Amino acid sequence: MARPAIRRTRREFIKESATLAAGAGAAMSLPAPAAAQRPKLVYWCYQFLKASDDARADFAREWAKKNNVDLQMTMVPWKEFMPKITAAIEAKATPDVVESGAVELRGRGQLLDVTDVYKKVEKANGGWVGNAAKFMLEPDGKVHHILYGFQGFMLIAREDMLKEAGISKPPATWVDMLDQAKKAQKVPRVFGMGIPVSNQTDSSVWEDIMKSYGARLADEAGRKVILGDFKGAVWEFLDYFTEVWKAGVLPPGVTTWDNTMNNSTYQAGKAVFILNPVTVSLWLEANNPELLAKTAHYTYPRGPKGQIHPVNFGSRSILKYTKVPDVAKQFLLDSMEASKMDRELSVSQWGPVLKSYLAFDVWKKKSFMKGLVEMSQRGEPEGHPDVFNDAWREQATNTTTSRMLQRIVVDNWPRDKAFAEMIDVLGKIYAKYA
Amino acid sequence: MGLLAPTVLILLGLVLYPFFYAIWLAFSDKAVGSAGRYVGFRNFAYVIAWPQFSAAVFNTVIFTFSAVALKFVLGMSVALVLNQRIRGRNFFRAFLLLPWVMPAFVVYLVWRWLYDPLSGLINYALIDLGLVASPIAFLSDRSTAMPSVVVAHVWRNFPFYAISFLAGMQTISQELYDSAQVDGASRAQQFRYITLPGLYQIIGVVLLLTTIQTANAFEPVYLLTGGGPSDATMVYTMLVYVMGMVNLRLGEAAAVSTLFLPLLVGLVLAVTVLLHRKANA
Repeated sequence: MARPAIRRTRREFIKESATLAAGAGAAMSLPAPAAAQRPKLVYWCYQFLKASDDARADFAREWAKKNNVDLQMTMVPWKEFMPKITAAIEAKATPDVVESGAVELRGRGQLLDVTDVYKKVEKANGGWVGNAAKFMLEPDGKVHHILYGFQGFMLIAREDMLKEAGISKPPATWVDMLDQAKKAQKVPRVFGMGIPVSNQTDSSVWEDIMKSYGARLADEAGRKVILGDFKGAVWEFLDYFTEVWKAGVLPPGVTTWDNTMNNSTYQAGKAVFILNPVTVSLWLEANNPELLAKTAHYTYPRGPKGQIHPVNFGSRSILKYTKVPDVAKQFLLDSMEASKMDRELSVSQWGPVLKSYLAFDVWKKKSFMKGLVEMSQRGEPEGHPDVFNDAWREQATNTTTSRMLQRIVVDNWPRDKAFAEMIDVLGKIYAKYA
Repeated sequence: MGLLAPTVLILLGLVLYPFFYAIWLAFSDKAVGSAGRYVGFRNFAYVIAWPQFSAAVFNTVIFTFSAVALKFVLGMSVALVLNQRIRGRNFFRAFLLLPWVMPAFVVYLVWRWLYDPLSGLINYALIDLGLVASPIAFLSDRSTAMPSVVVAHVWRNFPFYAISFLAGMQTISQELYDSAQVDGASRAQQFRYITLPGLYQIIGVVLLLTTIQTANAFEPVYLLTGGGPSDATMVYTMLVYVMGMVNLRLGEAAAVSTLFLPLLVGLVLAVTVLLHRKANA
């Protein structure tokens, strides 16, 4: 049965509307629920190796629940970080805590001073490992980011193929490595050295090798380009590179490899040697234990003038625009706590940054993780012996050394011309920051 | 007039503000996080002297012209075939759109794998068929890198041409073809004197839009070669990305874009004038 329609007069309608509006207004003026008053923390978590990412993300969620914080977490791969944070800063919509780009953001005055957190962490963990403090402390004693792990290239090798070729000792020098690669490779199925010579940052290995031949890009202050003074060392390095190229130990396509190709080539069993962080080994552990059993991990080979083994790092920092500085600092502090880091480092590619972390079982349990301790204790900041500054960083992202090599092997330029172009490019970059 | 004011204001804000802001950036030393100061023509002088700039100009022109020409020829050919009464015509028409609807990211990663010298399908087939003895590094050789990028881009984008031309062909009266046949016109003559003139307006719009789109293409180079080997595929959008998003030098990146503006406007004007003349001939 249909219900009779209720008819209202205009006066009644206005009266009812006014009552409703008043009610709504009163409700809105009531104290907001507790949930809405929780501090909100926007966290951009570094995304790379799933197990490691999950460990950090799980901790962040637990921490937020325990501390009644409204956490908004986004996983951001390294390659996407700078474009994203650039847009966020320009749009004035920045996250509170980030895990990438600390040095670049610090150089542009975008980070909050976290010296107090640095001191508390240092005190609670018996001090920093190796050069960790050097990565954080600025000349005026201030700190703007807190390291949570070291990461660097190691020499990862097919031990089974080396043994088959009659090689029992790891290569001590770059020349040894080339000799071993030539002996052990089985072209066209397996190539000796899976190293990119492209416009991607993993090609920076060639800059390290060039420096181990005695070259450096700029002066001690990191302002004036002096590479031209090291022509002899560069020529010796180019002799070595030419030999590598002609020996056919580099797989075809290395001049356009992206940063994943050295990993995937090794994982597919198509390279004898690669230079990469232990992410490859962690992937093999989960996906191809047979290949991991045939894999050895060695320290970086030396050049005629010594070993150049720069390491980079994972760190957390707080954007200066944060509205919750105390919450963000507490998050940084708690995220460095030893028992939490023990869980995280056992599934990560990171080496220890604090002395209390050296006691973790992971360094003893997994053979491929042992090298991370030595790397963390001895590793120098990226760019070494050059100063890690904005100018060095810009030339590194421009892959100037790899471009010089590409000029020689792709464009068939004479060495002098390619070298002159590299010095010109370096000069232009360093002049902007002088 | 008053009623139009809000719309006009919104349009001006959305179009003119970013346009003039980009030009202002080109004249400033703006970097991420800094306000930026006026530096006159310093950024322009810097980027013109930068070794990759001349490569970017050359490669952008080559990429744009070759890709647009190939897409046009391929799109027109496919449209002519699909305009015939063939079995399964509707299926093929729908099937044709597949490359165009797939995300660019997926398409170019698949092409990257196809070209791979160690595990790519193309090399596998070539070696298996005995056509080559050793794998070809399509993306890493100066002579094959740009053609390989163009092929991948054309594969993804030619369906837009084909579908647009096909839609145009269906508006041309069948009576014109019937009369031409009675007069003894060949297929080629029918195409030359009926189909092509009937499509001028559509060709104009398609070429205009896609010339701009092709010149601004970023994904194929970014995902396939990163601008290499040795700048052989460095196009201006890649250079802008490296300068602005990798090096964080927004002023320099904006200067590159601004320097390319006359080239792009010139391209668009040339296409427009050419087609306008043809249409009025």
